Order: sequence, then C-alpha cells, then structure tokens
Amino acid sequence: MKFGLFYELSTPRPFTAENQAAVYENAIEQATLADELGFHSIWCVEHHFLEEYSHSSCPDMFLTAVARATKNVRLGFGIGTCVPAMHSPIRWAEKAAFLDLISNGRVEFGTGRSSTWNELGGFNADVDNTKKSWDEYVRVIPGMWTEERFSYSGTYFSMPERNILPKPLQEPHPPMWVAVTAPGTEFDAADRGMGALILSIADIDRNIPRFQEYRRRVAKAEPVGAFVNDQIAVANWMYCHADDTYADKKGKELIQTFGYMAGQTVEISEAYPASNYSALGLLGSLRPDPNAPGDSKKPPASGLCFGDPQHLVNTIKRWEEAGVDQLIFMVQAREHLAQQDVLDSLKLFTKEVMPHFDRDAKVVAA
Amino acid sequence: MELLYGERGAHDFSGDPLCVSHGDDLILNDVSVIYSLYELPMAVARERLPASLHPSVPAVLGVTGWNAPDSTFGAFEFAYLGLACRTGIKPRHLIYGAFCNNPKAAEFLSNNYGFSVQHAEVAIREYYDRATLQIGDAQAPLLTHAITNMIPIVGAGAAVKYSPPLNVCTIEDQTVLAQFEAGYDFKKVMRGTPELSVFEGEQLGDPWAMPTTPVSGTQAVCDIQLLPVRFKVDLEIPAESGGARKISA
Repeated sequence: MKFGLFYELSTPRPFTAENQAAVYENAIEQATLADELGFHSIWCVEHHFLEEYSHSSCPDMFLTAVARATKNVRLGFGIGTCVPAMHSPIRWAEKAAFLDLISNGRVEFGTGRSSTWNELGGFNADVDNTKKSWDEYVRVIPGMWTEERFSYSGTYFSMPERNILPKPLQEPHPPMWVAVTAPGTEFDAADRGMGALILSIADIDRNIPRFQEYRRRVAKAEPVGAFVNDQIAVANWMYCHADDTYADKKGKELIQTFGYMAGQTVEISEAYPASNYSALGLLGSLRPDPNAPGDSKKPPASGLCFGDPQHLVNTIKRWEEAGVDQLIFMVQAREHLAQQDVLDSLKLFTKEVMPHFDRDAKVVAA
Repeated sequence: MELLYGERGAHDFSGDPLCVSHGDDLILNDVSVIYSLYELPMAVARERLPASLHPSVPAVLGVTGWNAPDSTFGAFEFAYLGLACRTGIKPRHLIYGAFCNNPKAAEFLSNNYGFSVQHAEVAIREYYDRATLQIGDAQAPLLTHAITNMIPIVGAGAAVKYSPPLNVCTIEDQTVLAQFEAGYDFKKVMRGTPELSVFEGEQLGDPWAMPTTPVSGTQAVCDIQLLPVRFKVDLEIPAESGGARKISA
C-alpha cells in the first residue's frame, strides 16, 4: 500500500492575494514534508471557476513548484482535462514531459473530462462529446511522447507532422491514469490499460466488485500507451490524531466544509441531461438523494481515515484487502485546519501508521 | 469565515398560509414538462435569496412548464420561474412567479404547496422540431420560450434532475419556505437549445431577474407523483445549522 496526498487547493473567502498565496504555500510545505516523510505521491487537480472549492487552474505550475522542493515523491496530474475547448493534447504532452524532465522522471499523468457546468459551460465546451474527445486524447498523447515526429488526423484533434518537444525522461513514458467518479469509468480505464484513479468518496465494500472487475479486465487490456498501468488509487480523507474522538470530530468538520464548497457548483447532471453524464461526480457521494431532504442521514462512507493511529491502521488494512494499491489523502479543506495540525497529522501518520504497511508491495488480483 | 449566502432580509418575504395536507399522493399521468435553465448575474441572485440559502455558482434561473392532460381538476397547464439555490448542499429553486390556466388546479397548488399562482393563459406545445412554452395571451405574452435542436436522451441518462421548488408561505404564523416534493417516472426525455423571444421580467415576478446565457432545455413526458409537503426551511437559519425542519403533523 502506497500513500499520497491530493490537492484541490480550496480557498477561503475573501479571495485576496494574501489568502490565495497562503493556500499555495501551505500546500507546498505539506508536500515537501510528505516527501521527507516517505509519502509516495502528490496529486493536484485541474479545476476552473469553482469558487472556494478549488483554485487549482494550473496544476502543472503547482507540481513544478513541488518538484523543485522535493526529491522522491511522484507528481500526479489529478487530472488534466481532455476537452478541446480547454486544452490541446499537444499542450498536455508538452507540459507532462517538461515536468518529467525537471523532476527527474516523477510524473504520473492522470486524465479526465470535467463534470461541472461551471467549467464545461465556462469554456463553451461540447458537453455531449467529452468522453469521445477524452478517448482520442489518451490514444494520441503516448505517441507524442514516444515518436520523434508525430502526425494525426482524428475527430476532435488533428495535426500535421511535428516533433513535439520535449520528450519525457521516463522510458517509454509516464504512467497514465483515468479519473473515475461515475460507476463504469473504471472499466474504461481497464480496457485501455490505464490506472484507475477513484475520486468518489465511497464505501469499501461497495467498491470491491468494481476493483475485482477492473483487475479482470485490465489483464486483457489493449493499452493506449506502451505499457499497462495496472493500479488502483483511491482518493480519501485523512486526519490522524492521538485522540480518536477529536480526530473524528475534525474529520467530520472537513467533510462538512468540503460539502458546503462542492454544493455550490452546478454539476452537469443537474444542469444538462446527457447520456454521457448519467451519474453525479464527486459531489454525488455527498448527496445521498438530492430530491429527498429527509434521507440525508446516511452513515458516512466506511473507509474514511479519521482517527487515532490504530483506527487508521484497521481502516487501511480493509482498503488493502479490497485490492487498492494506493490511498491518496485529502488533508485540508478551505484552510479549516491550522497548518501545524495538518503537519502534525502527517508526522503521526508516518510514525504510527505507515510502518504497518509494505509500501513496495504489488497488489495481486483477487 | 466569510461564506456565500443570499442577502435578502427575512422581512422582505411574505406568503399565504399553507394547508399541510397528509392525504393521498396525487398522481398526474403523461405530463409534458418543459424545463429550461439560463445563467443570470450572481449579484442579482444573491440580492433575491434569503440568508438561509446559498446561491448556485454560476447563478441560474429556471423556467418550468407542465401540460397535464388529465387530473382531478381536469386538464391544466402550469408554469413557474425560480432561482437556483442550495439548502445545505441540496439543489433547490426559490420560486418567484407561478401561472396556471385552471383555477381549481391553481388553488390546489397554492394551498398545498405554497405556489403563489396567478391565473393566466399557459400553453405548452410539442412540434416536430421544437417544444414551446408561452405564458399570457398570444397578443401580449409575458414569456415566449422554445426549445430547438432537440435530441433524445437515452439509457441511464434519460432523466431530468428537477431541482425541487421552494415556495414562500406561512406555516404556524411564521414565514418560511415550503419544499415541493414529487417523484417523476420518465417515459421520454428530449434535450435541446432554449431560446427566449419574450421575457417580461416585471410581469413574470421580478424586473431584475433577466436570463443571460442559455444552459439547457428539456422536454420530457413523465408521470408525476405529488407528495405532501414534509419540510420547511427557515429564511435566516441555514439548513446546515438546523434551519431545514420536518413539519409537525
């Protein structure tokens, strides 16, 4: 089991330069400490126009800053949006390769397609075809990394022959991932030989069949890249404290803060009925039933990592048994916790929880 | 910590008494529902929402119309306008204008759900290339709306997540928001581009709530199960602080 940190870079109002800079600096300080402590990865989202929830419009810049402050930690795009109105696949190939070089080969390249009207509407994107454009992007980007000169003629992207520069350091190229929020996307990941980056805060037991099906299908993958990245990473929350009750209380406050921020956004499934957006995104896991106000007392997901060290060991063992390779923790929400509390939580986790897990182990399909 | 809420004072709201019914659910079969969303300026939305509600980001205005071919009140057509908001994290629309062409249906919707319904001509029509909604008579319409370029939505996505309306009303001598609840069984869902050719804001209920960017328009056919009002929302206390409560029987 490997451990990483996941950054939305949520920001409290008012959106002053001072507040904004503090969010970025605190996150970089946490990431730097995580590198020293032996965490495996730092992931950063790409979001636009999501007030408070995520002021992470340039994940490549955040990851570059982290790269220059760290030595070992992997650097994950979590994710780069594969929608023509927002990015050309050329730019993603360039950015990822550039970061791979200046980080000495530490890039993990996550891909996705956005799930909010804020973003897709804001960029005037073609909402109905985001899955198709994503599929085309993930098939052409590896070629841009591995072929000296690349040309392509497709539906959502075409280019004449050019040498896309720089090329990444990692041979043959950085591992590729897919953000999984809607049920079924893990199969898209498996079929393409890509890692499943599970971004819904979901129950362990309910996820086990999804993990098993991913493993079954990825064994027969036709990879879009030069190799199969057979890994499951799950985003989760974490706050570790010697007092189990206190940690649980703080954890619930983090989730409540996150819910308030996420609740403001306009999800595609709320605003724009479409066959390719039938499920709610990350926010969906926080809304048991949007049409039933009295049915919100659903217990929280069973796998959240709030508690004292032994509590967390027990919870993470269950994720491990379920077949997860990596847990990626969100440790802050709109600066709700004091920075020192976050740093102390990371230190306690490293000292008391990490030793219970083999961080070099490879999960074998159940 | 500065948070994003509505800014309108509770004293600016008033509503008629609500009859809290616990009778049988009312089922409307084969209702044609038009539901279109438009963006509008955030400042306008915040000025109209009470302090207990969060606006959606971006701010959104919804136009909804029902053509019910049969009911205990006979056939009726009903339309309402609302501003997207959140009670806690749940999507809702704060209703500010409602219109119906059947007095008995209007009385039912007003007494049982708190819609402040004005009697008006309402016409929802389907054509081979569009669906339309008109409020007011043909010579001087208040609203003329069409959904064009429609395509069928199929598979697991063949549903529309209608944000439940909140209506200002009086319950136990207190001005509150009553939440309309219904179940929808979809038989057909079409989605297209919404277009407004007439929008008389003042006569529709608010001169400043003017739509800007179209988001989406849908025309669906569904059976609607109208449930009794179960929840009320305070005008000043947010749901996350206990402001959304069950109505006592």
